[in-house]
Amino acid sequence: MRILIVEDEKSLAAEIKQFLVKEDYNIDLAHTGEEASELISINPYDFILLDIGLPDYNGLDLIKEAKKYNSEAYFIVITARGELEDKIKGFDLGADDYLPKPFSLLELLSRIQAITRRKFGHQESVIKFGSFSLDTNKKHFQFKDKSIDLTKKEYKLLSYLVLNKNRVLDRLQLTEHIWGEFYEDDYDSNYIDVHIKNVRKKLAEFDNTNWIKTVRGIGYKFEF
Amino acid sequence: MKIPNLKLKSQLALFNAFSKALIITLLVFLIPWLVSRISIQDTDKLLIQKLDQVIELVDSLGIETYIDMDAEFQAFGSYNILKEEYISIEPIQTDTTINIIQYSERIIEDELVDYRVLSYSIEENDNNYLIEIGKSISVILHFEHNLKQFAFIFLIFIITLTFIFDLSFIQYLLRPFERIVSKLKYTKHPTSFNYQPVNTNTSDFIYLDETIHSLMRKIEAAFNDEREYISNVSHELLTPVSIIQSKLDNILYESNLSEADMMKIFESKKTLRRLTNLVRTLLMMSRIENEEYILTQDVNVNKVLQNVVEEIEDKAIAKELEIKMELKANDFIFKGNDNLLFTLFYNFVNNAIRYTDKGHVEIVSKQENNQFSVQINDTGAGIKKEKIPQIFSRFKNSNETKDSYGLGLALSKKICDYHKIIVEVKSEVNKGSSFILLFP
Repeated sequence: MRILIVEDEKSLAAEIKQFLVKEDYNIDLAHTGEEASELISINPYDFILLDIGLPDYNGLDLIKEAKKYNSEAYFIVITARGELEDKIKGFDLGADDYLPKPFSLLELLSRIQAITRRKFGHQESVIKFGSFSLDTNKKHFQFKDKSIDLTKKEYKLLSYLVLNKNRVLDRLQLTEHIWGEFYEDDYDSNYIDVHIKNVRKKLAEFDNTNWIKTVRGIGYKFEF
Repeated sequence: MKIPNLKLKSQLALFNAFSKALIITLLVFLIPWLVSRISIQDTDKLLIQKLDQVIELVDSLGIETYIDMDAEFQAFGSYNILKEEYISIEPIQTDTTINIIQYSERIIEDELVDYRVLSYSIEENDNNYLIEIGKSISVILHFEHNLKQFAFIFLIFIITLTFIFDLSFIQYLLRPFERIVSKLKYTKHPTSFNYQPVNTNTSDFIYLDETIHSLMRKIEAAFNDEREYISNVSHELLTPVSIIQSKLDNILYESNLSEADMMKIFESKKTLRRLTNLVRTLLMMSRIENEEYILTQDVNVNKVLQNVVEEIEDKAIAKELEIKMELKANDFIFKGNDNLLFTLFYNFVNNAIRYTDKGHVEIVSKQENNQFSVQINDTGAGIKKEKIPQIFSRFKNSNETKDSYGLGLALSKKICDYHKIIVEVKSEVNKGSSFILLFP
């Protein structure tokens, strides 16, 4: 997977790169629209992370340009300006997803993975742990042949944990992923714990393994 | 007396009608007097003319033609059968010159008739004669009546004609002005102003139109500057936050951190999150103040309430609170902004859940006396009476023990004001609070 990061804030671009490199992605950086335009015309990218607030270039023009050269690239638009209009325009022009700054790197990764699963299809869509299997395409969860009912949010939570297995997910990341960007000002509430409790209960009906580990004070980790 | 506000056009039309009415009343009194004067003058002129003719005849034919000198009764009289006119010549004994016109009664064929009479004395063959020419008053009155009638009809015709003419001219003259007014009236927002110049030859209107245009451009520019400023502030504040957050994420994923270090980083992330929300909320409020959100979406309020409950019920479940929903009103479609209304209800319900530890949160929508309202009731801590006026101010919080920055309610109030929704608060300490939203 080859990804181009178009971001004028060099230190942010570096952090994103550092994180994605560890996830085995090939990363190119462009700090200006000019650079990005040049790179896009030469290289075939799978993903382009685009900050539309570039000082020298209208980020949305870059999408148009890229579509001319390289119809294969998927765009994830990043912005700190947050105008609703831009959000809508971004989608009109063929941006595949939208992330408002600040975002967690894990959320960015999960968006990339989601698009990959949806569009490329070649990644394993069924993830197995123990005798459980989670079909991320059909959004279906089952134990051996028996299907398990999960609520929408429980499914979202479990699949996020499973896809990020063996990694500590803090409560903020889980909240951000499940509830998105509400103008939220509760930080210490335990409602994510309620969902975890319910998911654990449903898993325990079939299997005694403690799949979801509590990381005290921080969050949870799915281990297998 | 208070004079109601009227359009310039109506005021001019009213003034016009008033002045015409004044002219009519004046003429109604003047015309009879004028007409009778005219008719008397006219009659007198006629009488003098006839006298001249009679004198001419007497001079040329001799007085004998009319007066038989041998007769016992020396006089001449002539009148037509309707007694409208008469002419008489008779000798008089005095030397005094007589030359008068007056009203006078004459007996003709035993009938008393009112005449306007011209009496004139002449000397002929050393004798003095008196010529009298009379015109019956009834004829004069008849003529007068006809004249009056004609004058009135003419007057009404002229007045009507000028009135209609004046009105249409006023209408024509003020049309550009009305266009300017309607341009202002239909401008909800400086960015949607119609800059098409109004077509007119009146220099005052051109000046007015141009001045409004230039003012509008200034307002629009100021508005756009503000929008850009908000956007830049947003960018300048959130980009550094984003950098720190990414750095913290990366540190967290470097393994081999002690549990204590991980906790510290997580706490930092939480603080960052708080900062982010603060900035976002403030920016949202600025955007509302700058009227950047469109208010033209058809929003089904009950649907939004359902979505809010769906999104938030986890929190209630976590606190073992019951959420009661009573959507009594039929679907109420409201012109507004979907996202803002969602945020509004979310904040109210969220607050209700936060400040309630036992009992329930109730959401009621109803339609009563053409008034759609949404009510959010809780059985929570309640608000002290003296604190109620402050709850919608920024950074003030009724509950000092909870760690919140009081922006939620301030934002909610802004959204309400923006949508012209009225908020009423009823609360009793330790019994609960009610927030009642009255929709316009």
